[in-house]
This record gives sequence, structure tokens and C-alpha cells, in this order.
Amino acid sequence: MTNHWIDLQHSDCILIMGSNAAEHHPIAFKWMLRGKEKNGTRLIHVDPRFTRTSARCDYHVPLRSGTDIAFLGGMINYILSSDKYFKDYVVNYTNASFIVAEDFGFNDGLFTGYDKDKKKYNKETWVFEKDFSGNPKKDPSLNHPRCVFQLLKKHYSRYTLEKASSITGVSKEDLMKVYTDYGSTGTGTRAGTICYALGWTHHSTGTQNIRTMAMIQLLLGNIGICGGGVNALRGEPNVQGSTDHCILYGNLPGYLKMPQASHVSLEKYLKKYTPVTNDPQSPNYYQNYPKFYVSFLKSLFDDKGTPENEFGYSWMPKLDDGVPYSLMHLFDAMYKGTVKGLFSVGTDPAVSSPNANKVRKALEKLDWLVSANIFDNETCSFWKGPGVDPKKIKTECFLLPASASMEKEGSQTNSGRWVQWKYKAAEAPGEAIPVGEMFIKIIGAVQTLYAKEGGINSEPILNFKCDYHDRSGNFVALEAAKQINGYFLRDTVIKDKVFKKGQLVPTFGMLQDDGSTCSGNWLMAGSFTAGGENNMTKRGKDDPTGLGLYPNWTWAWPVNRRILYNRASCDINGRPYNPKRKLLEWTGEKWVGDVPDGGWAPMADKQNGKYPFIMKADGVGSLFGPGMAEGPFSEHYEPYESPLSKNPLSSQLNNPALHVFDNDMDQTASGSEKFPYVCTTYSCTEHWCSGALTRWQAWLLEMQPEAYIEISENLAQEKGIKNGERVKVSSARGFVKCVAMVTKRFRPFLVEGRTVHQVGLPFNYGWLFPEDGGDSANILTPSVGDANTHCPEYKAFMVNVTKV
Amino acid sequence: MIPQKGMIKVSDAFERIVHWCLAISCIILMISGLGMMFHSFNFLAIPVGGLKNLKLVHNFSGLIFIPSLFFGILIWWKEAGVFDFPDDIEWVKCAGGYLWHVDNPPETGKYNPGQKAFFLAVAIFGIIMIISGIIMWFSLSFSAGTVRVMYFLHALGFLVIFPFFFIHLYLGTIGVPGSFPAVVTGYVSRSWCEKQCSKWLREIEEEGKLEVFGEEKTVVEHH
Amino acid sequence: MKGSEIVQLIDTTLCTACRGCQVACKQWNENPGLRTKNWGSYQNPPDLGWNTWTLVRFQEYVDSKGTLKWLFRKDGCMHCTDAACVKVCPSGALYHTEFGTVGLNSSLCIGCKECIAACPFDVPRYHQETDKVLKCDFCYNRLKGNELPACVKSCPTGALSIGRKDAMIEKAYRRVKQLGGDANVYGDKFVGGTHLIYVLGEKPEVYDKLPTRPAVPLTIIAWKDWLKPLSLIASGGVVVGAFLHYLTHGPKDTGGDGDQTDQGGGK
Repeated sequence: MTNHWIDLQHSDCILIMGSNAAEHHPIAFKWMLRGKEKNGTRLIHVDPRFTRTSARCDYHVPLRSGTDIAFLGGMINYILSSDKYFKDYVVNYTNASFIVAEDFGFNDGLFTGYDKDKKKYNKETWVFEKDFSGNPKKDPSLNHPRCVFQLLKKHYSRYTLEKASSITGVSKEDLMKVYTDYGSTGTGTRAGTICYALGWTHHSTGTQNIRTMAMIQLLLGNIGICGGGVNALRGEPNVQGSTDHCILYGNLPGYLKMPQASHVSLEKYLKKYTPVTNDPQSPNYYQNYPKFYVSFLKSLFDDKGTPENEFGYSWMPKLDDGVPYSLMHLFDAMYKGTVKGLFSVGTDPAVSSPNANKVRKALEKLDWLVSANIFDNETCSFWKGPGVDPKKIKTECFLLPASASMEKEGSQTNSGRWVQWKYKAAEAPGEAIPVGEMFIKIIGAVQTLYAKEGGINSEPILNFKCDYHDRSGNFVALEAAKQINGYFLRDTVIKDKVFKKGQLVPTFGMLQDDGSTCSGNWLMAGSFTAGGENNMTKRGKDDPTGLGLYPNWTWAWPVNRRILYNRASCDINGRPYNPKRKLLEWTGEKWVGDVPDGGWAPMADKQNGKYPFIMKADGVGSLFGPGMAEGPFSEHYEPYESPLSKNPLSSQLNNPALHVFDNDMDQTASGSEKFPYVCTTYSCTEHWCSGALTRWQAWLLEMQPEAYIEISENLAQEKGIKNGERVKVSSARGFVKCVAMVTKRFRPFLVEGRTVHQVGLPFNYGWLFPEDGGDSANILTPSVGDANTHCPEYKAFMVNVTKV
Repeated sequence: MIPQKGMIKVSDAFERIVHWCLAISCIILMISGLGMMFHSFNFLAIPVGGLKNLKLVHNFSGLIFIPSLFFGILIWWKEAGVFDFPDDIEWVKCAGGYLWHVDNPPETGKYNPGQKAFFLAVAIFGIIMIISGIIMWFSLSFSAGTVRVMYFLHALGFLVIFPFFFIHLYLGTIGVPGSFPAVVTGYVSRSWCEKQCSKWLREIEEEGKLEVFGEEKTVVEHH
Repeated sequence: MKGSEIVQLIDTTLCTACRGCQVACKQWNENPGLRTKNWGSYQNPPDLGWNTWTLVRFQEYVDSKGTLKWLFRKDGCMHCTDAACVKVCPSGALYHTEFGTVGLNSSLCIGCKECIAACPFDVPRYHQETDKVLKCDFCYNRLKGNELPACVKSCPTGALSIGRKDAMIEKAYRRVKQLGGDANVYGDKFVGGTHLIYVLGEKPEVYDKLPTRPAVPLTIIAWKDWLKPLSLIASGGVVVGAFLHYLTHGPKDTGGDGDQTDQGGGK
């Protein structure tokens, strides 16, 4: 989230799209409701299904799964063609005025540089024309035919109301209703925000879904302001915290990049990931990348990492260049027999991963499986699952009992990046211990074995610092947290202030690339004071801005900033666009309000002033950029499994940069009569993620006792299915049986002139418990993922529904 | 209470057993019912160890009441269930002489209209009590509206039965001396009979069905 | 809040049907979750039960303009001022607390189920195993400890709140005014005012299982308010009457002439 939960109430219009906030972020939804109740916030829900969120919004607009870009592309078209954008912001704070290279182009669904065989783009043409000083050429009038603004206008002019309606199945009236409501926030005094979640990420175009909205937010001047932002709703699974600490394979803590095989030296690696700019007004904060990365290496290898050995860079594991290592790839490799062992910690992929039948088959090929969980689950017990003969399974399985979140101390990061310290509330039962403790014990044992017996490439293992335990060997979360924050490793003087060796680094601005500091995650530097005081335990309720920033309630990364890019809430002279919600103000000497995105003067000061988007090399928000795998602008492509055999916008049916698996269990069926219904999956409020924890809880199970599929009254009538009857739902990959919930909350769509039915079912059931509760809906889902993140396309695929 | 020679048999053993089953179950039902109906009578539950037990006592006494009432109706409906016109009207006009002095109250059969009214009240409201009671017992099988009407009827039943019952009790004991043996030994004095049911006595004598204690049964042969 | 009349306000227009209240209720009151089936609805258990004192009802409703609405209503004891259940309860298990709510002292309950028949909202539920009737007691034990009822405590959106009666009623009417349209306050105008009042987004008749004109049933009034005193008068009347009769009129003379002195001799 660029903003934070409490801030949602300040929005004038909240678009909830790709999220079922009321059901999955009930506490967060409170703030949206409060806005509606107290400030007249307009709540709009766009979703294939009418949910509990829809019930509380001003209105609900149903849209066919996987057509979000068409919907939002239409909105961009509306905003640009009706002059609803916030011109001052667009000109100054985005790259709308930048001139794009002459050879860049777009034709019939493909941008320039596409390599058909590799299914990849060469991004050489996705660049700006440079002036003599090496800075992008600009046309602040936005009239240059090759400026980003004009290209944007041209690109999305194809997303007419008729086209958007025909693709999405949303009526033109409904589209206009959303466009006008949301478009009304493109002024300095109105704020609009987007709340999305897995409904956007779980698509083969997931990243571009979010990017399209980010572009809208830039056009409307909604980033960096109170009540605005692009807000990914993260929840209780500590998604924010785990992502900050690199749950994704391409990341290291703090969103640093995993080195690749071709980055043979630290220098080469740092050169690759340290952006440069020639514009003196761009802060280009990532120029400090080497400081963050070297401090990270120091946190791993401590005094074993020296300038001579590149701080241990050579010990870091490297990804093969261009090879994805996502969850789907992991199970694919396992299925092929190349992955032999698996640690499954706090997860239940046999229920939660796409194409679950393949996942379950892949598990059979393991030599060993270690599961650390608070309960047994379908993954750990795969060997006795349906259709599996335990006698034929060679995999040795271990279940390590883990303590639950309330049975251990540590930090938990909410969606607003607040890193809050929590204490142990109860002792874990039996032999259960925190996962952190399992980890240091296993590492300790492995290190002892390596020290005694040696082994191939033993240096990274032996040199790895992992001593976050007390004398009796118990894990001490606080010690790990301090290492994550970082220490001064020698006496250092910064701005006349002396920091002793062993003191904590109070802010990432003090991290060094010479090995004098360490930090396990640069973003967390400042979670402690230099004196060792834990900022994450702060519980101050003072609210000096009156905007609910609560700067003394815990600590937020980065540097306790509550709203990111907040300098963009003011004009180029530092005057707030919206005096009623004054997030920041430049007094002539300093910024007052939230912790500013850098203390520099506003950008009108050509000498000392800086641009507001400090993490971007150019210092402005990117309406055009090379970051994405499938294009500098977003484009609508049909889901990998779609009811259509032709993309209404181009002859490119699917995302051209998709990575597709091709083994025998990865069957797909697009545009097939055998599987005519669009299907989406989701969870429900009553269960948590895969349900591996909540299905054992009688109170919760009582409310949502078994698998069900929601189908429209029209489809039910067509198929002769009555409410509460059992049905079989099948896809090209498998089938599940469940109860049919016939509902008004799903309605058929009119797509390209024909009726398309949409259905949906929750994935949070599994064969292990309850026995008669049905199995995972992921038996149906395809292992197809987003081209950038490889996040699986759980939310749009094709099925058939028949009476049992 | 040993019958004496010359006393007249007014009831047989079966009749008396039925009477007492009915009487006792009725008393228990009324006392236990009262204990549940009024908070101020909750103390009536103390001897049985609480209201819950009182509920059980009430419900199971009801099970005795059902057959008792059934046989009671079978036995008495002919003699007590049918009014005798116009004699009974005359009796009612002077309240049988129970309330003010009447020189010669009209003669009655075995049961006077007061007793008949009592019988009919018990019979009709007894059946209502049984039906409503069973529905209340198994109330979850019936609609709330039905059950509510049953509660009303049950209470109404009490309102009707109790006064009759108490008057019956009073008149069957101290109110009309000599009555009580009728339901114990089955024999009453001839004079009691002459006062209480002279018409019946006469008829039965004519029919020769009179049974007198200490005497052989008189068999009058008609020629 | 101790010692004053308390009202819980359920603002259905803020409810997201997360059912935190339903679970919190079971947790605090130690009511078990039972195995259920999906019957084609989110609403589960399908109805209130001995182990389910509060239940969120789900209802799909298309209004006159053709707009689909999903109505959520937290159902449970309304805590009537003129409570039929208290009126009929023979044992005093059901009673009015000092907060104006209807408490339930389970140890006194004799399982007669009279309250089940009497309740105009169809709330109390019978538990066969213990032969007791159970229902929400507004977390009386929590109120006594100056704590919010479990359901209110769990509510994330502020749909549930409690406070002094007049303040809550005022709040409800303020909210209804803000909402406009068909929004209305439900509960303050009947059975002497309930201690649980709704802000409804739609007219009351739209909602499943919500009586539009709830009242203590006439049969219950007839029974408890008319028949009960009448039977006392009648019963007392005959007892006293018989006594007076004995005193004034005396026993009936049923002896024959001389018979009474000649009882020994017979005839």
C-alpha cells in the first residue's frame, strides 16, 4: 500500500476492484465504511460476483473475469478524451511529457521488439529520446506526437465504450457510471483510491492490471495524497511482511534483487541494479543500492565478508539468467523429478497451488518432505490422499509442530507498512516451537555437520551468521529483528554524530557500502533507535496532522513515512493541492506534516529542489516504462483459458510474454465447448487461506462446512440444477464435486454478442478434513501465471458444471 | 369406616378405583400445575426437589389422568352426563337447596344436576386438558400459534375444573356428611340415599337391583 | 453503564456479515460448533439453535428498481421490555435484569418450553440433552463486569454498538435520517421497546423472519393477564365460599328420621 488503512476514510471515491475487501479484509473495510458514513466516500465495487463487499458499496458492477485491463483501458480513454486528468500533476510529476524513441511502436496487440520464438520482448525501443545532457527530452505542452501523453491517448483510444463493454460484459451505462464517478477525482482537491487484492494479481495479466490502475492514479493526480494511492490489500497472513522479507523468488529482503549467474562479480551485480540519472533534480534514491546490498551481505556473513572477498558475494546463490523459479516452476521441476526435497512451512500447496492434481503427483516424486505447520494438512499427508496407495510412496514425510502466531513474539507488518511488534500471548502446546527456532536449530546442526565432515561449497554455510538464540539455544526474535534493522560494525561519525560499534543503525540513510554497517533489510533500518529502543512497540495515539497518521503508533517503513510519494501532494512550490487534507507543506525551509519523501526543497527550486518520485531514476511517475515483461503500456489479452477464441482488440489472444508449461498434466482448453463457463476461485471470510488452519475449527466450519460453487439462476435453470444440489465441476485438468449455490449474485454476461456464464467456487477445502467437505477447487485451476511474477491465473479459467 | 348393615351400595370397586385415580391425579395435577403457574406457588416444588421434578410429576400424573378420565367417562356418562328434564331444571331453580333453605328440593336421580355439571366440566375440560397438555409437552412438534392456544385452553381448563373440583370435595366430605363412604366402601346410609338420590333409590328398588349390606340380594321376580 | 437501561443498536447498513458476532457469541458462551451441511446458502447454521444464540441471516433481495441487494440481519433475542417469555416463564429462569435486558438463569429453567411458544420473535431454543431452553442473555456477565457483549466487542465495522437507551434510539434515528429512503428504526415502538433495535435499510416486511408488528401474543395475554388472576379469584372464591357455606349454611342434613341416632342398628 502506498497509503495505509486509516487513510482510506479520506478518499472521495474508492474503487474496489479485484478485491472482496469486506470478506477478506474486514478490519480494513471498516475504514472504507467509515469514509462512506462520515465523509460521503463513494464506494464502487467491480467484480464478477456480487459479494458481501458489493452489499455495502454504493453500487456493484459485474465484470467478466480477466477483463480488468479492458475495463480500465476504457477508463483511461474516458479520462484523456474528456480531459478529466489533473494536468498540473501529469505535466510535473509523471513522464507524460517525455518523448519516446522514434522506433517504438505498437501494432495488432504487440509492441516493438517481440521475439516470437522466445516469447519475450527486447525492450531496446521502449526508451526515451535523450537530450545532449543524457536526460529524456520533454514537451511540457504534451502536444508532441511521440510524447508519452499522446502515445497513451492513441493507445487507449482503441478502448472505446462499445469495445470495453463488449469485452468485459459490463453494460455501457455501468461503465460510464464508474468512469464518471472515478474520473471526478482528477482534481487537486478530490482523492480517489483503488483497493485491490488477489483478484488482480491472480491473472496472466496480473501485474499489468495493477500497472493500468497506477497509470490512472498518476493521470488523476491520486498518488502521494491523502485518500489516494494504489492500495494492495494485504492481510493477516503477513503478506506485506513476508514480501518485504523476500517471499518472492526474484527478491532479497527489502526488494533487492537476487543475483543471476551472469552477475559474476559484486561490481557487475551492483552496476546492473544501481540506476543512474543525469538530472540533478532527480533524487534517484536507488543510487544507494550498493549501500543496501553490501549491508545485507554483512548481515549474512558478518566479519567473514570483507572488501577483499566482495563481502561474500560469491557465496550468494545465483539464479540462472532468465529462468523463473516460481512456485509453479518449483512443482513443475518436482514433477519432472529434478527437485528431491521440500520444506513446506506454513503452507498447504496440495490445496492452494494451481493444478493441485499435478502438485500432488509431484509430491510423490520427492525423497523427503518436511512440513512445519500447526496442523497436519493435505500436503504433508499427500501419501494417504484420494487415489494414492501409501505402499507405493517412497517419500519420507516429517511433520514439525509449529507454534501459532499468537504463541510467539515477533513483528507483523500490516498493509500500510506498519511494522508492529507483538508479544507471545500463550505457550505453544506440546512440542510446538516457532518456525524461527526450527530454522536456527536446523542450520546449527547443518553447520556442525559441515564443520565436522566438510562438504562441497561449505563456505557459505559455515560463514552464515545465524546466532539469534539464547544460551539454551532458543530462538530470540528480538535479536533477529535487530540484525534486520542493522548495526554499526565500527565506530562511525555521521554529520558530527558519533555512532559506536555495536549501536543500531537508526535510518537507512546511514548504511554504508564499505562494510562498516550491516542490515538484514535496509527498509527496516530505523525500526530500532540507535540506543536499541524498539520503535515497533510504540503505541502513541497522538495525531498531529489530524489525518490519522499516528506517527507514534509503532513504526512504518520507510523511515516512519505513512504515505509514500507524499511530496506529490503539493504543487511544485510545496503548497498542498488540497488544503483540507494537508499531508505535507513546505514552509520555505522544511516540510511539515508526514515524514517527507526526502527533505529536499520542492522541485520549483531549480537549485536545491527535487522531484517527488524519489525511487524512480527520472524522479517522476512512469506512465511509460520498460519495467514490465509485456509492454510499456498495458494491453488487454484474454485469460489463457477464455470463452473467446479471438481477442476482440487484436489478433494476439493471450499475453505474448506468458510462460506455459507443456507436460502431460498441464492440459488447457480455451474456447472449448466442453468447458463453456468462465470460472473464478476465491476464499471465504470464514476460512483462512487454504483452510488448513480453520477447517479444524468447529465454529468456523459450522458456518462454511463444505465446498460449493456459486452459479447464476439462469445457468441453474439451463442445467436443471436446484439450489443445494450436488454438482460436478470439471476443467481440462480434473474435477471436483460440491454443492450448487444458486444465486442472484452471479449473472450471465453479454460478451461479443453472446451470453457467457460465469461461476465461482472457494478453494479452501481439502480431502483431509472435514471428510465430507469436498476437495480443493485448485484441482481445476491451470498452472499458468503472470508474465512478470508467475503468479498463477486462479481467477479466470474454463469449466463445465453438470448435475451429479 | 366399615359399612353397617342396611347400608346401600352405590358404587362398585372398579368405579371407586377409577374415582380415586382420577381424584388423586387431578389433585396432583392441580397442585403441581399451580406450582408452575404462579411464581408465588413455586414453593410447592420443594417437596419434590425443585420445579423441574414438579414438571415431571405433572407430566406423568397426566398419564394417569388420561385412562382415569377415559374410564370415568365410560362409567358415569349415562348417569351423570345426561340431564333429566324437566326435573333437573326444577332442581337448578332452587340450587338443590344447597344455598338457601328449600323445604323439599326436587328429587334427583343418582346424580343431581350439580354433579352432572361437574362431570361434564371434568369430562369436557379434562379432554381439553389432555389434548392441550400433550401438545404443550411436545410443543416443538407444533406451531407456536397452536401451542399458545393450548396454553390458553389449559389455563381455562384449570379455571373451570378447580372450582367444581373444590365444591365436589367440600360436598363430598364435610359439606354433605355421609357422602364420603360412597367412594370408600361403596355403601351409604339409606337416609343419605333418600335425601340425595331418592329417585334413583326408588327406581333401583323397583328394578330389584338394590344391594343392601348384610342382606341377600333381593330378586324380585316379575310374573 | 451499570445500573441504566442499555440498548444494543444493530445498524444493518454497516454489517458486512463477517459473522464475527456469531462466533464470538459461541466462544464467550462456550457453545459448541456443530457439523452442518451447505444448504445452498451462506447462512449457517440455517437457524438459531440451542448452540446458536445469534445468527446472521443472509437474504438476496431485488428491490422495486431491480437493484440486487444482499441483506444481512443479525438475529437473536430482542430483549423486549414487555417480554412474553418472562411473562410465561414458570420458574423465573427468564427475568428482567437491571439493564432492562432479559436474562436467563439456566439453573432455574425446567425445560417447559413455554417461552418458545410465547416469543413473538421465535428466539428461544430447546436443548434436548440438558432439557433446558437457551437464548442470548446480552452477555449479562460481561455487562456486570463493565465489558461489551461478546458480539459487540467483535464487530469490526461498528454495525453493533451499545449504550444508554435514549442515546441509542437517538443515534438510530439520526442514522436513518442520514440514510433516507426506506431506512427505518425497528424495535423501539413495540413490546414496550426492545433492548435490541435495528437500523434497517429496507422496510421491515422485506426481511425474512422479522415480524412487522410483533406483540405479546393475544393468547398469552389472555392466559397470563386474564385467566391467571381469574383462576386465582375463582379458586379462592370457592374455597372461601365453601368455608362460609359451612359456617352459615352448615352441612347438609342427610340423616333419615332417627337414622342418625340409630346408626348402629341399621334397618
